[in-house]
Amino acid sequence: MVAQFLGLKVRLLANFSRRSPWQVVGIVIGMLYGLALAVGLFMVLVGLRFTGDAVAIRDGMVVAGSLVVLGFLLFPLVFGIDDTMDPRKFATMGIPTQRLSLGLALSSLVGVPAFVLGVVLLGTVVTWSRGVIETLLALISAALLLATCMLASRVSTSLAAFLLDTRRSREFTGIIGVLILVMIAPVVLLALNFDWGRYGLDLIGGLAGILGWTPLGAAWAVPGDAATGLWGEAVLKLLMATFTTYLLWLAWQGLVSRMLVTPGREAQARQYGGLGWFDSMPHTPMGAIAARSLTYWRRDSRYWMSVIVIPVIPLIVILPLSFAGLPVSYLALLPVPLMSVFLGWTLHNDVALDHTAVWLHVASGTRGFEDRMGRLVPALFVGIPMIAAGSAISVSVYGDWAVMPSILGVSTSILLTGLGLSSYSSARFPYPATKPGDSPFSQPQASDTAAALIQSFTFAGSILLSLPALACGLLGVFVDPVWNIPALALGVGIGLITLVGGVWAGSLAFERRGPETISSAIRA
Amino acid sequence: MEPEPVEAAHEPVPVEPDREPEPEPEPATLVLPEFVPFDDESSAASLETTDLPPAAGAVAMKRPAFKGAPRKRAPVIAQTVHDPASPVVLNISGLQKSFGQTVAVSGIDLEVRAGSFFGIVGPNGAGKTTTLSMVTGLLRPDAGTVTVNGIDVWANPFAAKRIIGVLPDRLRLFDRLTGAQLLYYSGVLRGLDDVTVRQRSADLATAFGLEDALNRLVADYSAGMTKKIALACAMIHSPRLLVLDEPFESVDPVSAVNVTEILQKYVASGGTVVLSSHGMDLIQRVCDHVAIIVQGAVLASGTIAEVRGEQTLEERFVELAGGRKVAEGMEWLHSFSD
Repeated sequence: MVAQFLGLKVRLLANFSRRSPWQVVGIVIGMLYGLALAVGLFMVLVGLRFTGDAVAIRDGMVVAGSLVVLGFLLFPLVFGIDDTMDPRKFATMGIPTQRLSLGLALSSLVGVPAFVLGVVLLGTVVTWSRGVIETLLALISAALLLATCMLASRVSTSLAAFLLDTRRSREFTGIIGVLILVMIAPVVLLALNFDWGRYGLDLIGGLAGILGWTPLGAAWAVPGDAATGLWGEAVLKLLMATFTTYLLWLAWQGLVSRMLVTPGREAQARQYGGLGWFDSMPHTPMGAIAARSLTYWRRDSRYWMSVIVIPVIPLIVILPLSFAGLPVSYLALLPVPLMSVFLGWTLHNDVALDHTAVWLHVASGTRGFEDRMGRLVPALFVGIPMIAAGSAISVSVYGDWAVMPSILGVSTSILLTGLGLSSYSSARFPYPATKPGDSPFSQPQASDTAAALIQSFTFAGSILLSLPALACGLLGVFVDPVWNIPALALGVGIGLITLVGGVWAGSLAFERRGPETISSAIRA
Repeated sequence: MEPEPVEAAHEPVPVEPDREPEPEPEPATLVLPEFVPFDDESSAASLETTDLPPAAGAVAMKRPAFKGAPRKRAPVIAQTVHDPASPVVLNISGLQKSFGQTVAVSGIDLEVRAGSFFGIVGPNGAGKTTTLSMVTGLLRPDAGTVTVNGIDVWANPFAAKRIIGVLPDRLRLFDRLTGAQLLYYSGVLRGLDDVTVRQRSADLATAFGLEDALNRLVADYSAGMTKKIALACAMIHSPRLLVLDEPFESVDPVSAVNVTEILQKYVASGGTVVLSSHGMDLIQRVCDHVAIIVQGAVLASGTIAEVRGEQTLEERFVELAGGRKVAEGMEWLHSFSD
């Protein structure tokens, strides 16, 4: 039975290679990356075998190790990964619960994360091979850790699949993701400003002291404690680690038996009155496409997530710079152009977000121009007030209204060139995107190299095309206010030209490549 | 070839309240009351119907033009099922498609005449969906031509698509829209004006039994309801040709009867339906013509009577599709494992 589960997992992994060549390249790169990471960490850990300070090594390992366990526990919960080995898929086969849970738990050993973890754990065994008993303890705790991490990720994956099963709650996980992003920012700031040289070791030592007595860090601390002569603590922590693994195993079994008899739940459907945006937009194909896009920007988490993230980005960029001592007046000029970059970029894969639903546009013979323009409307709805109000606020903080044309020009240039490039790339180069109804943080299997190219091209493209306006703007701020007006003129001019060109090329591509767009959506 | 004028037996087709603010309310049971087969300029060469006398209520009139060109309305075509004189609405010739090494469709030729209810049957993976996708302009063929009403779908896609209604299989809908919004969206994309779309949406919702679901998101619909709303979207622009891939899959029997009735009325007034299905009973009952596709090639086509001969359609189909495998060596199934 166990062998069959392992075989199934191997075959599931192997079948990814049957997808498009680009995806295979992506998977291979991912695997190579994992391998390199594993080998690198292994070498470091082997190196640590021959260095002195066992206390420092133990403390560092406990803190880092606790983060790893926490990662295995939280990652599936927050990002809602697609579970190929969901217990419910085996519900009809009548496999005894205990064997099913064992088989599924063991099958999670097949995969890149488990491989990397396994190699790293072997490294820790080498690190602590400073005596027979230490080595033995290190081996036992490594085995316990592997089991703990695998069970933790199984339990949290299933919990995520089980509790967050409805469409609406799946989208809700995105909000947790944003909250975490926002919370991480101050932590990173603290970490950046911390005087590691002076207090670093003390902090890590203190943290390790606490974490070592929690389920997260206990197993990591066992061999280290033994190597530093704290035998009593080592035994107690080993007991704790064993107990943790056992509890997780019980939780996993309980969850499997519960899931087998609980089919998916249905959410209460909500009623919407009227036609919404369709009433207020013009009753033409272009107006209807705009109304549809606006509706999606509000209802579909994949869109509103990216809109919510946009104001967070300048925060993340500006806070560290202000800590680094840059004057606030100059920093105040940054947010609007930064937000424009990301707003212009949100549409760069818009057609792929429709997934196969785009057939309706193709089958009804929608004109490319109507499609392109309609999809731009929400971004303009958000972008124009953002640039207008944002620039005013920025300039009032800066204190000199003479730079207003510059900031308007640079932001407009970035937004419009971004939208122009997106209009073309989303029609010509759609790449697999998060499917409708999936968590906005779940990426499609193996985002490939082509996707990375398109992303960086559209992202960098708008900034490159805005360099003239940006240069004039910088001259206006730092050298001579005379340059402010050319910044506005150049920005709006280049922006409009790019937008028109992008929409024109995008329209042609959309009309010519309708069937190919559908095919690529089907493959995605 | 010319379509015959409407016979007196046919109900007068109500005049389409073209661009008028107050359209006449129409009985909800008549689902495509405004079905108006209309000509496109590019098809006028093959179908010179516009100057026929407006017999039996068929009135020549303008339609909302796409590019300002006035278009005249053809009289409703008298439909007699086996009439070889009906104009060919859909002509498929030499259609081919392969995906890599796999040949999905290997040279299909078909002719579907106006006013026929054409069923395409075939085993799983026979190339039905591939064929229908190429007919509707959703999948580019490797070779071959598809003409709808004389318009080449792949040479002149915009004109051809205007007169085709499509229900694809296994493609998503814009399911974050409510049912009402999706209907409206489909109608407006097809170039209908605001008032017409609203009125037709209401009619379609009543006919398909979707009134209570119109204000819910399509994502929350059941499989059968999703199929029905997609079907409604396919016919909102009163196309000349309806191409339906598995229209009755997961639709409940009551709705299936309703839908069938709607389609039969549509066919009776000159529309053409091409559908694929696994249900032989249904095809035999509903369709007048059938084609059997196996491994990407047409093995038999013609009227139901021609194709099935002395047998039932199902028997004939199983025979053509490679014969029934006699279930030998399955004795273990008869001794139960407990």
